[in-house]
Amino acid sequence: MSARRVAVLGAGIAGLTAAPELRRNGVDVTVYEASNRVAGLATSHHDEDGFAYDTGAHFITNRLAAAIGVSASCLTVRRYGEAVWMRGRSYGYPNGLLAVPRYVASALSSRARGHARRDAGPKGSAAEWFRRTYGAALADEIALPLLEEWSGAPAEELSAAVGDKIPTGIAETIGLRLATRLSHRAVAIGYCREQPQSAAVYHVYPEHGVSTLCERLADDLGDAIRVDSPVQRIFVDDDRVVGLRVADVDVDVDAAFSTAPVNVLPHLVDGAADALDRFGRFRFRPMLFVNLKLRGRDLVPDVVVWTPEERFDFFRITEAPLSMPWLAPDGYTMLSVDIGAEVGDRHWEMGDDELAELCLDQLTDLIPDVRARFVGARVVRTKIAYPVFRLDYEADRQALEQSTGVDGLVSIGRNGEFAHVLMEDVYWRTLRKTRRFLAGGIGSPQLAA
Amino acid sequence: MTTLHPRAGALELERTRCCICETTDADPIAVGEDFEYRTSADSFLAVQCRRCGLVYLDPRPTTDELPQIYPDNYHAFSFSEERFGLVYKVRSRLEARRVLAATKGLDVRDIVDIGCGDGFHLDLLRSYGNPAWNLVGVDLDKRAIEAARARGITVHEGTVESLDLPAASFDVALMIQTIEHVSDPPAVLRATRELLRPGGRLLLVTDNTDSLDFRLFRRRHWGGYHFPRHWNLFNPSSMRALAAKTGFEVESLSTMVSPVNWTYSVRNLLDDWGASRKVVDRFSLEAAPALAAFTAFDALHNLAGRGALLRVFLRRPA
Repeated sequence: MSARRVAVLGAGIAGLTAAPELRRNGVDVTVYEASNRVAGLATSHHDEDGFAYDTGAHFITNRLAAAIGVSASCLTVRRYGEAVWMRGRSYGYPNGLLAVPRYVASALSSRARGHARRDAGPKGSAAEWFRRTYGAALADEIALPLLEEWSGAPAEELSAAVGDKIPTGIAETIGLRLATRLSHRAVAIGYCREQPQSAAVYHVYPEHGVSTLCERLADDLGDAIRVDSPVQRIFVDDDRVVGLRVADVDVDVDAAFSTAPVNVLPHLVDGAADALDRFGRFRFRPMLFVNLKLRGRDLVPDVVVWTPEERFDFFRITEAPLSMPWLAPDGYTMLSVDIGAEVGDRHWEMGDDELAELCLDQLTDLIPDVRARFVGARVVRTKIAYPVFRLDYEADRQALEQSTGVDGLVSIGRNGEFAHVLMEDVYWRTLRKTRRFLAGGIGSPQLAA
Repeated sequence: MTTLHPRAGALELERTRCCICETTDADPIAVGEDFEYRTSADSFLAVQCRRCGLVYLDPRPTTDELPQIYPDNYHAFSFSEERFGLVYKVRSRLEARRVLAATKGLDVRDIVDIGCGDGFHLDLLRSYGNPAWNLVGVDLDKRAIEAARARGITVHEGTVESLDLPAASFDVALMIQTIEHVSDPPAVLRATRELLRPGGRLLLVTDNTDSLDFRLFRRRHWGGYHFPRHWNLFNPSSMRALAAKTGFEVESLSTMVSPVNWTYSVRNLLDDWGASRKVVDRFSLEAAPALAAFTAFDALHNLAGRGALLRVFLRRPA
């Protein structure tokens, strides 16, 4: 293999997965990171009161930790579960929902009509797909309201591909639940699509926060990582990547692995004519995470509680310390309350105190004495939380799964791939893409040569 | 730039690649721990090469960590008649027949056992074979070598690649449950081929990943993983690829009955899921009922060519 030079843009989990794999295969790699440190989104913050926060929720499995070589620094997660809160009570997932005759009847009749051909793959709108797969009752009361809050668009305008996110059948879920009970570990259910689920794959969490993963990956790269090095332009000539401008200096490269949100590529790339313009239409859903610090523990029915009813401004509540007790000091807990937003809308413009008030008000339905327990709040606002799979650009989204259309330009990572993926999937997908690149497939300049 | 906080007992790990294809294109298939000896706090990932099917650890401990992952009570060094009683006697008889098969049809003077451990197999050849044979062992573990020498067996300390043994000086080489432990199987096989006289034979025995026990327990508890000490695990096709890569002809390739991986698979599962000591201890190399039952069970699979161990006769071309 020729000594190709590849630039990796961004030292988050995706960039730090691609770079060593390229280097292991004889490629000359440099990682350019705009900020002054590695890890990107995969970081935890600790506050002065002893609470720890992630940017979003990070799910790490023992398999990912072992692959990266940080398993000895990880603690085992013993408990994980989800529930839905409706009509003033909680329904466990999936057993609690299966006990509601209306949902079962509607799902069975939908299946009996032969509509649930999952193997044919999701087609059409998300609304149709969910009604077909789960029955109208469950779809209309739970799945679709949640989906709409989460994406900020009507389910009729969303692609059925969002349904891909929920790959685990009910029988498999029950089996893996049983394994959780027998093994006393939170077996991962529905968090990885790239690799098989099994009783052997369970949630773990690095003792010193999620950045441990990136730090370990960065260790092997040494000075191939340049921090404080924002990439300003990617130069394309004759439909292939030829160079970069980094911190006002131009460098020649044969390929670029970008972890930037894919919708900024049209602005970042110079000389690709309009090949990348179609990705500029892709939208990410902004999100507000209202972290409430509270006295006590075990305040909600399960680790994740979904709230599909319209009377709630939020759609999800996570009590992470139920899974990971070390995230909050003894005697305290933290609820992360998630609100879908648009930049500049009512919620986005609210002050932190106002948002906390709003959440506390509505939480009294689940926790009557929540106000008495409240000790403080910390709000995280993010403009890029979830990719929105709108039907009107579904064809372009599918095209991106194959390639960016520019030789030597590979878009990786959660935001780069525009995909609903958690950390472990980011890792395996990035490896898969990198290997395809190395084999002369996707985005490889050799293909053109 | 980075601060790592490994907990006590964490091993230094390094990335690896398929030793046969020399690529990194592999799928993760298992994640497990050192269930048997608990020599570290790490979990280990076993991956399978997408080209040749080789199963290997990636990442794996560096060779500097060998003293930690082979503790003093490691069984290969203490399989004694006093401790294992009936199991020792039964196994000795079986193994004697198996190793003697390696000498069939050859005019044998010199035999080398690579990874000879405490000299168990050479001792069998001495007791049941031709007294005129010159028997030599190679191993790198000091405790094992001491035990072998105490039995009166000649052992060279080191690895077959690094020892300067005279080329083309052996008629038969044994490599019994050794190849899965070494860091560079092709290098070991090439060095072994050099030691053999043209037409000489290598008997190689190793865990078989084309077996029912592997299929059932491959996600975590399979005894053959022996985390983190088995670094490369073969099936018939990856074994043939290894032979071709290292200049050997395959004389025959078959499977052999063994209750060990079955026993340890069940033991690992019970231990991992918190069963009581009493239950776990029903499954060990000292538990004759479990061994007998699994021997019978594996014998059925062996008839179908899916026994727990691979047995390969390789020949250095004349």
